[in-house]
Amino acid sequence: MKNIREHDGLRIGFDVGGTFTDGVLVSGTEALAKAKSLTTADVTGGIVDALDQLLTAANVQKEMISMVSLGTTHTTNAIIERRNLNKVGIFRLGAPATTAIPPLTGWPEDLIQAIGGRENVFIIRGGSEYDGRDIVPLDEKAIQEACQQIKGKVDAVAITGVFSPIIPDHEERATHIVREELGEMVHITQSNRIASISLLERENSTILNASVINVMRKAVSSLKQAVADRGIDTRLFIVQNDGSVMLADYAIDYPIFTMASGPAASVRGAVFLSGIENGVVVDIGGTSTDVGYIVKGFPRESSITVTIGGVKTNIRCPDLLSIALGGGTIVKHENSRVYALGPESVGYNLVRLAKSFGGPLLTVHDVGVAVDRLHEKLEVFHTDYVVDRQKIRELPNDLVEQADALIKETLETAIDKMKTTAEEVPAIFVGGGALVVPRDGLNGISQVILPKHFEVAGAIGATIAEIGAYAEGVFDLEKEDREKAIQRTVEQAKDNATLAGAIRSTVEVIDIEEIPFTYMPGKSEKIRVRAKGKIFQETI
Amino acid sequence: MSVWDAVRDWGLKESDYQIIDHQAIKEITLGASILATGGGGDPEIGLLWTYKVLNEGKPIVLVDPMKIPDDILVASMACLGAALVLTEKPPGANVLNGAIAKLEAYLGNKLQATIPIECGGVNSPVAYAAAGELGVPVIDVDGMNRAFPELQMTSWVTHGLNSSPTVSADDRGSITIIDTGQDNLLAETICRRVAMAYGGISWIATYPMHGKEVKETSILYSQNIAWAVGKAVWEARNKHLDPVSEIMNSLKEKRNVKVYSVFKGKIVDIHREFGGETTKGFTLGRITMEGIDEYKGGIAKLDFQNEWLNLTIDGCIRCLPPDLIAILDSETGEPIRTDIMKYGYRGTIILIPAHERMRTEKGIQIFGPRHFGYDLDYRPVEELCADL
Repeated sequence: MKNIREHDGLRIGFDVGGTFTDGVLVSGTEALAKAKSLTTADVTGGIVDALDQLLTAANVQKEMISMVSLGTTHTTNAIIERRNLNKVGIFRLGAPATTAIPPLTGWPEDLIQAIGGRENVFIIRGGSEYDGRDIVPLDEKAIQEACQQIKGKVDAVAITGVFSPIIPDHEERATHIVREELGEMVHITQSNRIASISLLERENSTILNASVINVMRKAVSSLKQAVADRGIDTRLFIVQNDGSVMLADYAIDYPIFTMASGPAASVRGAVFLSGIENGVVVDIGGTSTDVGYIVKGFPRESSITVTIGGVKTNIRCPDLLSIALGGGTIVKHENSRVYALGPESVGYNLVRLAKSFGGPLLTVHDVGVAVDRLHEKLEVFHTDYVVDRQKIRELPNDLVEQADALIKETLETAIDKMKTTAEEVPAIFVGGGALVVPRDGLNGISQVILPKHFEVAGAIGATIAEIGAYAEGVFDLEKEDREKAIQRTVEQAKDNATLAGAIRSTVEVIDIEEIPFTYMPGKSEKIRVRAKGKIFQETI
Repeated sequence: MSVWDAVRDWGLKESDYQIIDHQAIKEITLGASILATGGGGDPEIGLLWTYKVLNEGKPIVLVDPMKIPDDILVASMACLGAALVLTEKPPGANVLNGAIAKLEAYLGNKLQATIPIECGGVNSPVAYAAAGELGVPVIDVDGMNRAFPELQMTSWVTHGLNSSPTVSADDRGSITIIDTGQDNLLAETICRRVAMAYGGISWIATYPMHGKEVKETSILYSQNIAWAVGKAVWEARNKHLDPVSEIMNSLKEKRNVKVYSVFKGKIVDIHREFGGETTKGFTLGRITMEGIDEYKGGIAKLDFQNEWLNLTIDGCIRCLPPDLIAILDSETGEPIRTDIMKYGYRGTIILIPAHERMRTEKGIQIFGPRHFGYDLDYRPVEELCADL
């Protein structure tokens, strides 16, 4: 790793979306260049294309570029498409407990086959109780024997021990044994580094992580190469699920932390561009709108399980409500009576199918045109926002009013579902479709902010050089002082942020959460701390 | 032992039992989680265990309680302890085998079937999974037809039976026999201490009783009540019907009771009393809901101790324990649980009269309003909602 630079200069950010890849080149709060390319199947191609556009558009000194950062869907796509996945050896440390529900329970069969099948699964005697005792001593011999069975058949190993987020000892011992038996070439993921309490979801997350190590390694090395080929000598960062960034080299070991990289980057971009640290972020695209909630500048985390490729996980992801409302969403109506919004969208066929362009279908975009809300050219499509004005004029007033009211109500309901208090909060609108929807007089909203560069908020979000980290533990407050327990967890979270690339003196606590154990006498509770820190000594 | 031996030995006809498959256990569990009145925790672990049992080809059979012999010995099988520990440490497949053997040795008789203890989150499917692993039938009864936080809060106790002797086991094969005779409160206290000593979760075989007692003291056909409720929600989702009214219809049909839909609103305040864990061993608190749609302007307040306990709407008491309160997601019919509810959740509150066997004088003593610390006499929901 290079020395940490004292000052930040120019930053390049990318946001890989389903259809388009956005890129920006920023200096301070100023965007020197913006780029848009078609997202390619290998993801990397679209990024490189956008990078070249940026370098051509802005004539900058390449040595001034202090970071290249991206929100990426490489790993998500690989899992969803069951493509290029590692064969994974799966070790659970938990027998004689846990055998009622073996690993891979509930997984789609094609995904099980894609990671090497069930023959590489072992439930080993071991694991811990929540209070630190062993369930039973770790069966080291069984691990050695299992390694002999899978030698040469797996690229990666996933190790999950009962209560390892609190007591990682058995996982670490098992890692040591597997390393000795299978050598350095096999990658090992320990569950305690991946997720928190809830064995089955954590195990799933750990196995998925192990399955995409090579996908991430390849993506990082080809991007590094592309950047180096263009004479740029700088560090590469990847946006993680909480919207902070991590060093790409660190991301190779933890690809699962980039699964929600894109939406998280949008939320962070919205915060950065608006200066609002608490409120709602509404990211309006062509086919859907993501509503997120920001707390102290970071997206609020989801408290429910997140399903990836058909598998339930408990990785930390932003709490997002996705609704079928985007510029291309079809307004379904019978004559002048509106009966539904979507869920279908015309997507990038907008300029072919929507009324504004002479097409047959009424879309949310057309409603925006009809109520005279849109005045900007559509840069993405290289066209004006309306081509066939006559078709828009012909729309009955009644139909337009109903449709606009329904769009407004849909937005209001989604925003309200994401709020945590009854008080009015500010809302930041970003994304390519931000201009299309109503912004005035929304219920429950104190003000709507449409920041500069709203349409590339995700790419801008990728350039924000902040590191996020967390730590958690279960404490018996009858034995340990609450304040001390919290302090210990805070220190651990700060250490973790430093490991991920933050400057220690800049690390601060985002929030502290206490969750009591129910149905148990006594005072046990889980304490969880999130922290953030800066990569550069001085940031804008 | 095979479940078919019991079916043959008891001379059961095909109409006397139902075969439980994946869809059936899904529906029963969903229905039970609605009757769990906000408690019971996440049923996922129990469901996955049941799927595993079914996938291994082990049959699970639900038997009509009035068709079982009077002299067979049965018991309840359940987990007792901290829900959070269970999500981290699921059971071993054979966790209850040792407990059953010990209970049989202690009683000098073979156990021939299981009786579910409650309509709760995880304990509903656990009863089926355990029965499948052991090769015995599930009897179509339970001891509550809802969920309650403590072991003694059953129709069995209110009708003079006892949870003792209870055998409590852990995954290491540890066995504790708890025999407190008629002191059911002490049995609960000891069981919970044992669970803690084991590491937070215990697996129990409890309430051993004979077929005749099952018939006389249980909530009969409670599994089919839960099943009907679950099926109603499932069908409502598939046919895009209103799940709340489908649930109400199903209970009318199965139990011939009136279900009250009394409020629709969203949670605007959650107050959790964190001290509750130390003093009582439960999560206590209160939520406030603000009315929406036709209930706009109204305020509902609900107290909870793991389960919802009482409901006040605009200052009027509308429901007291042991009558049931459920808050259902208006769109999916999924129950809103006390352990995962958040600000902004929207739901419809329905009230269900407790089963007659839960409303006896002794029942009101054990799990009526005064037991939960309210200075109030029990009044049935039918009376409290007579003006609605």
